[in-house]
Amino acid sequence: MKLRKYFIVTRISLQNSLAYRSSAIGGLLFFSLFIFVFFHLWRAIYKGGEVTGYSLTQMIWYLCITELVVFGCRSGVFSQMNDDVKSGSIAYQLNRPYHYVFFQFFNALGNMVFNLVIYGILAIILGLIMAGPIPGFRFANLPFALISVVLGIVINFFFLMTLGLTAFRLEENFAFYLIYQKLVFMLGMFIPVEFLPRWLQSIALYLPFSYVAWAPARLVVAFSWDLFWQVIPMQLVWVIVSILMSLGMYTYGVKGIQAHGG
Amino acid sequence: MHQHVVRAMNVFRLIGLYFKVNLASALEYRASFLLQAFGMALNNGSFVFFWYIAFSQIGGRIGGYDFNDVMFIWALCSSAFGASHILFANMNSITRIIVSGELDTFLLQPKDVLISLLCSKTSLTAWGDFLYGFILMALTHGGDVPAWSMFLLGIVIGGLLMTAISVTAHTLTFYLGDSSLIGGLALEFVISFCIYPEGIYRGLVRVLMLSVIPASFIVHIPLKLARHFSPGLLLLLFAASAAYCGFAYVFFYRGLKRYESGNLIIARM
Repeated sequence: MKLRKYFIVTRISLQNSLAYRSSAIGGLLFFSLFIFVFFHLWRAIYKGGEVTGYSLTQMIWYLCITELVVFGCRSGVFSQMNDDVKSGSIAYQLNRPYHYVFFQFFNALGNMVFNLVIYGILAIILGLIMAGPIPGFRFANLPFALISVVLGIVINFFFLMTLGLTAFRLEENFAFYLIYQKLVFMLGMFIPVEFLPRWLQSIALYLPFSYVAWAPARLVVAFSWDLFWQVIPMQLVWVIVSILMSLGMYTYGVKGIQAHGG
Repeated sequence: MHQHVVRAMNVFRLIGLYFKVNLASALEYRASFLLQAFGMALNNGSFVFFWYIAFSQIGGRIGGYDFNDVMFIWALCSSAFGASHILFANMNSITRIIVSGELDTFLLQPKDVLISLLCSKTSLTAWGDFLYGFILMALTHGGDVPAWSMFLLGIVIGGLLMTAISVTAHTLTFYLGDSSLIGGLALEFVISFCIYPEGIYRGLVRVLMLSVIPASFIVHIPLKLARHFSPGLLLLLFAASAAYCGFAYVFFYRGLKRYESGNLIIARM
């Protein structure tokens, strides 16, 4: 696989994101609103009683990071796949000198990098204003936590791509998207795994959903090497599985294509 | 007076006719319709899990609300949103219709422009939102008559308020140019203040929730009335909601006077 052409695709998509940066304003407003609402909600919850495993400051930062991974670095890949398959425009991309799945990834990568930077800055500002510095935070650990952030974004991308590619074989696949999204929300993004009932915790740690948002956020707010070596191998496994699933779904889907000209 | 009643009846008849046509169109694609509605109900249902976990962490009240109170505001918000989008789904497209010049088509029709514009589209997923509220109410409030009464009344008031919010935000396009960003965000913004206990906010935010962001009138005051009925508060709810909807209506027609017709030719099937 010659990588140079994919890097050019990423560079162009990054240039596009920079050129159309005003389109990010709505997302930034929503990101701020989400953090504002949840800051008030969790403050009220912490007033009501003890919450195990996280201080309020850690909880606010936890939400800033999960929101950064899931919302800030979202790619729209699910709807892109759906549009390409349902409109038939995918037919024009099949005979181009790149692999469709990797083209979509590198095309989205530019935008995701742009979002990671601007939403990352906003997350830090909001976290500092609403909660103050994270207790015990060490900058030296940040690069390792960022590895987990990137792996979380990649897992999310390829699972969404797999679901989007089901459009090849299914007429209506939006319900799958909603179910996946809610599993990511409830098994990490809104609720840390530590808050789940014990029986559900043990199941969640074997599933991919918590490794999208919970693992990176936990590493940022309460880094430990034990946790790092526990979650990074699992994230790598899910990265490989999600890429293989999207490639498999693509190959299976392309076999069923019927082109009628036009 | 008689004229006003006849006019109101005509508006209701028009809404009813649009509803029938839109529903018939949706039922042409039954599988898609059911799947989308089911998907949305499931989507909303997942938040029950969030609240279950949140309450199980502390075992008390959050922002002055208990678990059933939160389920009431969720049910009401969901059904009001569903009702408004079943009947008036075009509220989300007003800016696009103005900017593209498609509004000409509605101006030529012998009926109320705003009502025709709002009613000419429905949303399939809105049925899921609408029904989800009823299921949640049945599961959490059973035969609680005051709660059901305020829930049903709240659907009408909340649905109209949500529509008014969207109309007001999109109408800014007449005055300021393309307002799709604020039009798209306005309702989502208000809903964010509807689905969490009112008591988590203080000071200025609470004042905003009773004015610019009318979240209190959509869910929180109906909840108060369901728990402790007060005729004065009910009157305030009616008056404020009527004022808000009236403002949106007048604001739209004032703005419409600034509209410059395009030359787009459109066929409505």
